[in-house]
Amino acid sequence: MLDYLRLEVRRTLRDTGFVIGGIAMPVMMYLLFTNLGGGDDGEWKTASMVGMAAYGAVGSALNTGGGVAEDKVIGWLRQLRVTPMTPREVVVGRTLTGSVTVLPAITAVLAAGGLVNGVRLHLWQWAAIAVLLWLGSVPFTLLGLGNGYRLTAQTTGVANMVCNLGLSVVGGLWFPLELFPGWLRSLAVYTPTNRFAQLGVSVADGHAPAAGGVAVLTAWLLAFGSYAVFAYRRSARTV
Amino acid sequence: MAGARSAVSFEGAAKTFGDIRAVDGVNLTIARGETVALLGRNGAGKSTTISLLLGLNEPDEGTVTLFGSRPEESVRAGRVGAMLQDTRPVPRVTVRELVAFVAGRYPAPLSVDEALELAGIADLAARRVDRLSGGQTQRVRFAVALAGNPALIVLDEPTAALDVEARHAFWGSMRGYARRGHTVVFSTHYLEEADAHADRIVVIDHGRIVADGTGEQLKRSVGGNLVSFDLAGQGTEGLALLPGVVSVEIRGDRARLRTDDSDATVIALAELGAIRGLEVVPASLDDAFMALTSQVLETV
Repeated sequence: MLDYLRLEVRRTLRDTGFVIGGIAMPVMMYLLFTNLGGGDDGEWKTASMVGMAAYGAVGSALNTGGGVAEDKVIGWLRQLRVTPMTPREVVVGRTLTGSVTVLPAITAVLAAGGLVNGVRLHLWQWAAIAVLLWLGSVPFTLLGLGNGYRLTAQTTGVANMVCNLGLSVVGGLWFPLELFPGWLRSLAVYTPTNRFAQLGVSVADGHAPAAGGVAVLTAWLLAFGSYAVFAYRRSARTV
Repeated sequence: MAGARSAVSFEGAAKTFGDIRAVDGVNLTIARGETVALLGRNGAGKSTTISLLLGLNEPDEGTVTLFGSRPEESVRAGRVGAMLQDTRPVPRVTVRELVAFVAGRYPAPLSVDEALELAGIADLAARRVDRLSGGQTQRVRFAVALAGNPALIVLDEPTAALDVEARHAFWGSMRGYARRGHTVVFSTHYLEEADAHADRIVVIDHGRIVADGTGEQLKRSVGGNLVSFDLAGQGTEGLALLPGVVSVEIRGDRARLRTDDSDATVIALAELGAIRGLEVVPASLDDAFMALTSQVLETV
C-alpha cells in the first residue's frame, strides 16, 4: 500500500501540468490579488492566503480523480487487477495519494503569505490552518475520485475544472463574500469550499471553527463519499 | 483432485456478451510447466478466454480454476502474472520503479535486476516507461508480467505490432522464463509463432476449441499432404472425386489437392496425364488451420 502511495505521488509530482496548475497558480493568484492596487490590507492578505491555499488544495484533491481516469484509459487499473493487490487497496491508496498531493499547494501558499506578504500569525495558528486545510480537503478528493471512476478521461478533466472553478468562486475562495449580491452570499455559505476555507479563516481570526460549518462540510463529505463509492462500484464491472 | 495438479482448468466455460457467445463451452486442462498457444483469428474468442482465465470476467456457465482455486484467489496469492492487450505505458515512472513496484506485490518475486535481465531491458532501467519504442514497451510489459515470479504467466497477443527483430528477441525472453519450469499461456494469430514457441497449440474458433495438440498432430489431423500440378488447360471437374482427395483449390492455372493418401492421388493423376509440374508437399500448419476453421471462411 505504501509502495502504491509512493508510486502514485511520484507520478503526480512529475506531472508538469499539476505542478503549474495545482501549486504555482494558486501562489501566483494569491500574490496578484493581494498586491494589486496598493495592497496594504493586512486582513485581506490573511483571508486571501487561506482562500488561495484552499483553492490550491481543492484543485490538487480533484486532480487525483484525473489520475484515476487516466489510469483507467491506459489499462493500468486493469493491470493492477491481475496483481495480488486488492481493488480496495487501490482505492484507499488513491485516496491517500490525494491527501498527500494537496500538501504542496497548501504549504506553498502559506509560505508565500508568511514570507512575501508578511502575514503574521502565532505558530499554533499556522500549524492549525495547515492541518485543518489538509483534513478538510478529503471531501474534494472523494469528489474527484467519483468523477474519475464515473467519467472518461476527457470529461473528468472538464468536470474537475468546472467543480474547481465553480465551487472556488462561489465559495468565496477568490473574492470575499462581501462583494457578492445577497442571494449568492446566502447560497455560498452552503458550498463545501466556503465551509472548507472557513476552517482556516476562523483559526486565523483566533477562534475555533464554528460547529455549523463543520456540520455542512461533514454533510458534503458523506455526499461525495457516497458518490465515490457508487462510481467505483459501477466502474469495477468494466475496468 | 485433478484441478489442483493442473495449472489451468476450464470445464464447460461459456461467456456471452449481448448476442455474442464469445466463449462457447470450453473444456481445457493445462498441466504445470506446459507452454500453450491459444491460436485463432481476431474475434475468435481468445481474449475472452484469457479474461476468464485471469478472473477479469466470470463465466456465465461452467467453471474456471487455476491451481485448483478460483482465478481471483490464485491472482491474489501471487501465482499469476499477465501481459494484457490494449494497455498503454504508465506515464511518469521509470522502468525500474514500475517493475520494482509490481514485484513488491508478490510473495516471492524475482529481483528487479533479474526480471529486467530476463525481459532483455536491463539497459532501460532508468528510462521513463512512456518514452520508449513499441518493442521496448512490450518488453517492459513482459517484465511486469514476470516480475513476481508467478507460476503461471499469461500473455495476450504479446507480439502484436512488433517488428521481426523485436519479436525474435521477445520469444527468446519468453522461452527463458518457460525453461524455469513455469507455465506459459499465450494467444496469437500467427501460426508460425504458435508452432515455433509452444509445446501445444489450442485452436479456438467461434468461441470453441476446434483442435488441440502439437503442431505436428494438427498437421496430421487434417490429412497429410498437398498435391499440386499445372492444369495446362485441362478441366477441373472430377478432381475432387479422385482417390484420397479431401479438398480442391484452384489458384490460377494450378490445382492444389489436399489428400490423405498422396500415393493413390498421384497414381490417379498420372492416369489422367495431369502431371505437369507435379509437386507433393506435407500440408503446412497454415493449411491445417484453414481446414480446421474453414467453416468460418464459408460463412464470412
